[in-house]
Amino acid sequence: MEFIENYLYYIASFGLILIGLYIMLVKKNLIKMIIGLSIIDTGVNILLISMGYLKEGTAPIFSHKDLLPSRMVDPVPQALVLTAIVIGVAILALALTLTIVLYRHYGTLNVRKIRDLKW
Amino acid sequence: MVNPVLLIVIPLGGAFAIPLFGFISKHISKYVSLIVALGMTVIVGILIPEVLNNPIVVKIGGFKPPFGINLFVSPFSLFFAGIISLLGFLVSIYAIRYIKEGDIDKYHLLFLLFLAGATGVVLTGDIFNMFVFFEILCISSYALVAYNRDKNGVEAGIKYLIQGSVGSAFILIGIALLYGLCGSLNMADIASQIHSVNSPLLSLALFLFITGFGVEGAIFPLNGWLPDAHSSAPSTISAVLSGFAIEVGLYAVLRIVGTVFGATDILYFLAGLGIFTLLIGELSAFKQNDIKRLLAYSSIGQIGLILFAFSVGTPEGIAGGLFHVLSHALSKGLLFLAAGYMIYKAGSREIGKMKGIGLKMPITSFCFLIAAFSLVGLPPFVGFPSKFMIIKSALLTAQGYFFFLVGAVLLGTVIEISYFFKLLQNIFSRTGEEKIDEAPLGALIPIVILAVIILAVGVYPEIVSKFLHLAAYDFMDRMGYINNILGAL
Repeated sequence: MEFIENYLYYIASFGLILIGLYIMLVKKNLIKMIIGLSIIDTGVNILLISMGYLKEGTAPIFSHKDLLPSRMVDPVPQALVLTAIVIGVAILALALTLTIVLYRHYGTLNVRKIRDLKW
Repeated sequence: MVNPVLLIVIPLGGAFAIPLFGFISKHISKYVSLIVALGMTVIVGILIPEVLNNPIVVKIGGFKPPFGINLFVSPFSLFFAGIISLLGFLVSIYAIRYIKEGDIDKYHLLFLLFLAGATGVVLTGDIFNMFVFFEILCISSYALVAYNRDKNGVEAGIKYLIQGSVGSAFILIGIALLYGLCGSLNMADIASQIHSVNSPLLSLALFLFITGFGVEGAIFPLNGWLPDAHSSAPSTISAVLSGFAIEVGLYAVLRIVGTVFGATDILYFLAGLGIFTLLIGELSAFKQNDIKRLLAYSSIGQIGLILFAFSVGTPEGIAGGLFHVLSHALSKGLLFLAAGYMIYKAGSREIGKMKGIGLKMPITSFCFLIAAFSLVGLPPFVGFPSKFMIIKSALLTAQGYFFFLVGAVLLGTVIEISYFFKLLQNIFSRTGEEKIDEAPLGALIPIVILAVIILAVGVYPEIVSKFLHLAAYDFMDRMGYINNILGAL
């Protein structure tokens, strides 16, 4: 039980990453694959945040004098996640745009049927 | 002294200025990208003599490493920046005439972002900053591949996007693990303490980095996107994707494996992967009928050879690999640029439809021939000394494993000769369509410049070989890297 308490965030984040990878490998619908991509991104972001998380920690701002640096959460991963979210949104937007154009060309979103190009 | 930050700031600023110029006229954008790329080339030219004496460490915002983001400009990274800006400049000359359809200003905006991302990856000394620039490079290249919005381009773009973004997610997981273990994002700082970390997660992080950057670096099992993306993109984009985007992916793999992890024991594995990549690429190229697909598969083969050269692990091997990066960038850039107008004039990408085009477009086809010979490795061209250097360095290690792999390299070269001669035979045959004329001047200038550089460096390899050896020693000197950055307090 203690194991789960200590590693809950890691289990959850790797769980999300694996769920996302499973979706991307198995699903045939392009929109579902993009949803899988989004789930992977969420998992990675949770992993990054949990790296710097401290139970009952405070924000890293010296707002009054009895705050100790050792009780503050690490702000660096939070800054990283902010950037990662923006990048994720950019990829998501581009992917959906391309999907719309692809649908106009092929009339389907099934990736097994979209295969003009192959080895 | 010029501040190396300008190498990233100028293309980034140019990219954001293009929409503003667009209020006046959309056609200004093509000259903006030309001037920006020229400016970058000039800055690299000014920096080269300075960097040869001492590597430059730029502390952005004045924060001392390991806290802030720093740029590290050494011969090794400046070599890649030089290739990026030179090829970027030549390609933007070509693009003035070639890119006529679609939103021209958006093309040039993405192209400049692409240059900014590529130079950022090679110059930065911070692992997360590298990821961000890598994403700028990748996202702009996904969009550029699908620029024509035709059936094939969009399909290739979405394939590239899906594989590339899974790779990026892997890189980010690797960064998270590394930050958890070392508590730092600065590459020199991580490198200085990585050997005191003892955790199985470290090898997981290394594996994730190789997989993630390997997608862009087109290492064998991860290169399914490459032939589609390179063949469906506009020819200018194929030239830069093949000329330096893959190499930037490879640079990232090398920086992580060589400098950050210092994992020399994995080099045997990478050498094997390189040879696999080489043979698969060359064998697949052999049966292609589409000229751009053939060139794309040939890029996979060349990348395999470069990876092999770097994995030899001696300074000669790394210098040979760098030389081949240069040779591949020049030759493959020229081949894609020349193929662009050959396809345009012949009206088809099929090799069979290009019969007799060589006599109608003599200058383009003659330069095409020079680049093809150079890529195969025939003597007076740049491909010969680079391939020779790689094979010599592999033989000098005197290890049976590398002897075996050199055999595979030579086999790959034989296959390469056969498909390039098949292609050239079609181009220079006497039959075929009439009323095809030479490519316009704007396209011929970059093609001829590239051909002249190929010939000049091929005849006098001494022009670059001193710089290449310095760059190779610079890359091998892991402690020097750490001291240069962390010591610069």
